[in-house]
Amino acid sequence: MVQRMTDEDSDLILMSKKGRMEAFRKLVEKYKKPAFFMALGLVGNRDDAYDLSQEAFIRVYRNLSRFNPRHRFFSWFYAILSNLCKNHLRGRQVREEYVRDRQNTADCGHQENAAPGPDILLEQDEASRRLWQEIERLPFEFREIIVLKNFQGLSYKEISAMLDIPMGTVMSRLYHARKKLKDNLQTADGMRAYEV
Amino acid sequence: MKCEEIRPWLMAYLDGEIEQREKSEVEKHLADCESCRREYESFARLKEVTNRMRFADLSDQLWAGYWKGVYRRIERGTGWIFLSIGAIILLAFGAYQFFKELLTDPHVSLVVKVGVSACAFGAIVLLVSIIRERLFLFRTERYREVER
Repeated sequence: MVQRMTDEDSDLILMSKKGRMEAFRKLVEKYKKPAFFMALGLVGNRDDAYDLSQEAFIRVYRNLSRFNPRHRFFSWFYAILSNLCKNHLRGRQVREEYVRDRQNTADCGHQENAAPGPDILLEQDEASRRLWQEIERLPFEFREIIVLKNFQGLSYKEISAMLDIPMGTVMSRLYHARKKLKDNLQTADGMRAYEV
Repeated sequence: MKCEEIRPWLMAYLDGEIEQREKSEVEKHLADCESCRREYESFARLKEVTNRMRFADLSDQLWAGYWKGVYRRIERGTGWIFLSIGAIILLAFGAYQFFKELLTDPHVSLVVKVGVSACAFGAIVLLVSIIRERLFLFRTERYREVER
């Protein structure tokens, strides 16, 4: 669960702006876990998630002067992290397409994933692995909202603030994301347990 | 409410994020509409499975080294900035001295002076063009750091 913005955060940001690295370290220590797990949900690879979440903190440090204290720190941080992950996934997709073109693969529907997702899960049963594979195939916006709701356990209000979208949009996006996931699972082989 | 209107509210009902008034409407609709009831049940089964899924945690060693990684990269970034500034100052000064001596040296032929000056002018034009392009991209880049 993402911690709420506190007076302590405001003080830490203020001190970090003045160049106090110890204050910034405390901020990083406080938010490193939610940052890493959110990145992990978005990119599906531990090494990349570790690297991207660190990069997001570095960009935050370089742009501290642009932070508006009226907003929550983590919402601002998440916008930076989310964009980094989006760019990373786009780059990965381009690389995968390039490799596919070179290999001249006949099976165009097969997705060669450079980052094997299921090993990031605690439970290694077939159902969880299959579900995670389908989550990874969702469009970014759908995957993002499922990660925030189901894996991070954020409330609708928190998601609304985090993504800067109205509550109604949170509900409808979540509906379409879950529906697409459900439909994909129904059409996938070996998913009798989730047939609905 | 119609089925299309009720669907987003099914999510709020499922996640326990619904107010009493909407909750009553959703329950009434589910009691009357078999199609929505079946859909709701399938969402409930899906939620049950996704709720069981958890990401595996990193080792304590990796967590312990997290801040050091961030700090090192900030430090190196700062180092590169100062190194670049210093190099630019030295290069600019060196170029100025070189051209000053070259253009005032009576032993260097006019052809060489014109050639070197043309090269220098071309390099400056290219540099300005690249900087201008970079500035334009920076202003219009969709995915640069977001400010809220």
